[in-house]
Amino acid sequence: MATTRILEWLGRLYIVLLLGFLYLPIIIMTAMSFNASPFYQLPFEWTTDWYASLWQNDQLIAATWNSIEIAIITTLISTVLGSMASLALYRYDFRGKKVLQALLFPPIAIPWLITGTAMLIFFFGVGIGRGLVAILLGHVALALPYVIVVVSARLQTFAPELEEAARSLGANQWQVTMRVTLPWIMPGVIAGGLFAFAVSFDQFVVSYFLSTPGQTTLPVEIYAAIRKGFTPEINAVSTIIIVVSMALMLLTARFFKFGGEK
Amino acid sequence: MRMPRLTAFLTATAVFVSAFTLGAQAAEEVHVLNWKGYGADEPWAVANFEKATGFKVVNDFFNSEQEMLTKIRTNPGLYDVVMINAAFNDQAMAGKLIQPIDVSKLSNYADIAKDKASSPMLNHDGKVYGVPWVWGLTALAINEKSFDKPPTSIAEMWHPAHKGRVIIRDDAVEAVQFGAIATGQNINDIKDMDAVKAKLTSLMPQIKTFWSSENDWNQMVASNQIDIGTYWSGSADRAKTHFKLPVSLVIPQEGAVAWLDAFSIPVGSKNVAGAEAFINYMIDPKFYVEWVTKVGAPVSANTKAVDALPEDAFNRKVMGSPDVAKRIQFQAPITDAQREKYLALWQELKVNVK
Amino acid sequence: MADQLAIGSRRGLKPALPLLLPAYLWLTVAIFLPLSAMVFFSFMTDLPLAGKEWSFTLGNYAAFFSQSLYSTLLLSSLRLGLEVTLWCVVIGYPAAYVLAKVLKGRSREAIFLLVILPFWSNGLVRIFSWAMVLREGGILDTALNAVLPFKINIDLMYSYPAVIIGLVHSYVPYMVLTCYLTLQAIDDSLIEAGRSLGASRRQVLWRVIIPLSMPGLIAGAALIFVPVVGSFMEPRILGGRTGTFYGTVIEDQFVAVFNWPLGAALSFILLAVVLIILALAAPVLRRAA
Repeated sequence: MATTRILEWLGRLYIVLLLGFLYLPIIIMTAMSFNASPFYQLPFEWTTDWYASLWQNDQLIAATWNSIEIAIITTLISTVLGSMASLALYRYDFRGKKVLQALLFPPIAIPWLITGTAMLIFFFGVGIGRGLVAILLGHVALALPYVIVVVSARLQTFAPELEEAARSLGANQWQVTMRVTLPWIMPGVIAGGLFAFAVSFDQFVVSYFLSTPGQTTLPVEIYAAIRKGFTPEINAVSTIIIVVSMALMLLTARFFKFGGEK
Repeated sequence: MRMPRLTAFLTATAVFVSAFTLGAQAAEEVHVLNWKGYGADEPWAVANFEKATGFKVVNDFFNSEQEMLTKIRTNPGLYDVVMINAAFNDQAMAGKLIQPIDVSKLSNYADIAKDKASSPMLNHDGKVYGVPWVWGLTALAINEKSFDKPPTSIAEMWHPAHKGRVIIRDDAVEAVQFGAIATGQNINDIKDMDAVKAKLTSLMPQIKTFWSSENDWNQMVASNQIDIGTYWSGSADRAKTHFKLPVSLVIPQEGAVAWLDAFSIPVGSKNVAGAEAFINYMIDPKFYVEWVTKVGAPVSANTKAVDALPEDAFNRKVMGSPDVAKRIQFQAPITDAQREKYLALWQELKVNVK
Repeated sequence: MADQLAIGSRRGLKPALPLLLPAYLWLTVAIFLPLSAMVFFSFMTDLPLAGKEWSFTLGNYAAFFSQSLYSTLLLSSLRLGLEVTLWCVVIGYPAAYVLAKVLKGRSREAIFLLVILPFWSNGLVRIFSWAMVLREGGILDTALNAVLPFKINIDLMYSYPAVIIGLVHSYVPYMVLTCYLTLQAIDDSLIEAGRSLGASRRQVLWRVIIPLSMPGLIAGAALIFVPVVGSFMEPRILGGRTGTFYGTVIEDQFVAVFNWPLGAALSFILLAVVLIILALAAPVLRRAA
């Protein structure tokens, strides 16, 4: 089958082209973080000054820490609450369950611009105000549906007989959950947690409307920098983040199989 | 999971969260709201001020006068000093956003040019609501690489040779007032709005993009993407002095828009003493001379500061010349109705450009 | 989802409540109450701040319908969403197919990871990087002129195509992901059976593969279309003079002009339009699933 082989090679070539398209801006960004011109002028002149001045930029560093802290807390809260809700939706049958399941989609299906401005209006109106607490409230709400969907998908592969068996052996509800169910759904919980972290860490729109000066996250700071005077320091911080997150992703991929055969 | 456990977890989280939010407020900070790269955030200036007074400066920036007003409105009590174009002082005062300033605390206030200090835009009911800082022009700036000799007329913006290489600021008021000058009208009393609209409509195809920060402008010139555009006099000076870009300012024969920037103290400022010290430092001749030489700046409202510049300095020689004084028109406050009309016109122009 | 869970499920909302309540309370406070508040605000004349007078009005909605400006912008945002989604299908679907059906084992795993990795870099910075690539005298221009024997001028920056390129770049991994998941689930023997019965490659593609992967296509389309319609930062950074869209006008109402009631009304209209479009797509989605 010569045609098949040719088609397969064309397919591989296509994937390489697509990866080129996907990585072009990331490569440029990394390269420009080592270029001396603040206006990205060519020819290229090597420098590491932007990394040095990054350490002097308190505002950017503070925002980066805020982003990391918020992403970690969001991950913790949304995986715990989300896994609990998934368990309930799995174990129990009741009227209105379909409605509850449908209610998970608004945070995903509504443009963030709308959710963000709505949160701004509401939090402002009821006195929660803006700032890191408001951002955290918003991020958890955006991450919850992802966690519930991912954990529920994992629960579908769970054999309920296992719970029954444990119960018949005298385990109480708490023991059944912690010893039998939780270990089984753990890969789902971790995958959900990774989703939650990514949703929060890269979230710009909602954070943008909910941040105040001094209480911002990295993406908001970057947007402000792009509009009010971009420096290659932003490229430097982004390069550091992508290197760190790629390392983390590769590490996780070693432990969990993403996309490989089941 | 049991409820008490959950409650404990949530409480712990809440405590954790509030711990890192509360840490942000320290007593001796001076929060300043200004354009980015506009004097108040120069690292050497901040360092000098902090060393002299012990206050810590925290800078925040805006992209338009509208955004500045919204930031004060939605962050009450956060800012101590805000830089407001005198033409917007009225609006800020009417919205109860700024408070009267006790000028007896500012040792440099006496040296401010009398006509600026007594401007009706900054004084209401005998109280001072804004301390004049610097004034300058919204004129034209050119990319020196694109011109053998600088143009003299505003009509250059419409020249076919510059199609797709013109830039103007994304600001309704500035665009309309620029249109007024191009059609030979008084910027503060525009009689023929249709002419302004027609003039701006015909400018749209010439435009590369709109700028909203100095950095936008400078990047466009650095990558040689524009020939000519509206720019602020101080910014053009900075582009040349500080960033070594091929930029020069042109004050067209038709005239230019002049503005007066002033410092105010927002209502609810937690550090009025720090605010007064900062404003006083900003109008100090020593700061000004250093700013002009190192970075580039508009013209100080402090007469002693301008006199401290060399005789042939642009801000003294050109900006102070009677010939220029004749051509420029100072911005006066505009009413809400006018502002809405300008905004609607500007939005319409931007939408129809596609 | 519910059908498969029926075995072993126990009846009653009461025991489920302690597990459900925290998550749904959170969603109520952070999503549902804000959305209701937005509807409420959209009927107000002014913000109830600092003792300002306010009353109920339909004026904010009247503004939308009386000025052609807003509907023009909404239409151009919808068109933008449609175009970006289409490009994502055209670019993403073949990639998902190759990934699911041509590549095997470790190379598939590695490429899959590479496709979703960009999600972990900052979206804003990726958009801004395009500015350096696309402008005249930028990287694309310089590189192409170095390679090609003739002189060409590439200046895509600050144009509608630039916005499309930036958005497609940001969202195409979603399409690859969702299509890959459904394509992977198609049994290879089904395709082989089709071929051995004498169907051409094209027929197998149109009659078997595409119908079976429809759920992935539609899910991907929804995941892309919805955020693109509401996008504002991408057009602002890449669009230049053509960068005014419905989303940028809403942003202005909240950040600059300080007309929150009008902003709320414009947001709510966008929400209604998006929901109508999703509702129209839902039957297709359900049938396919």
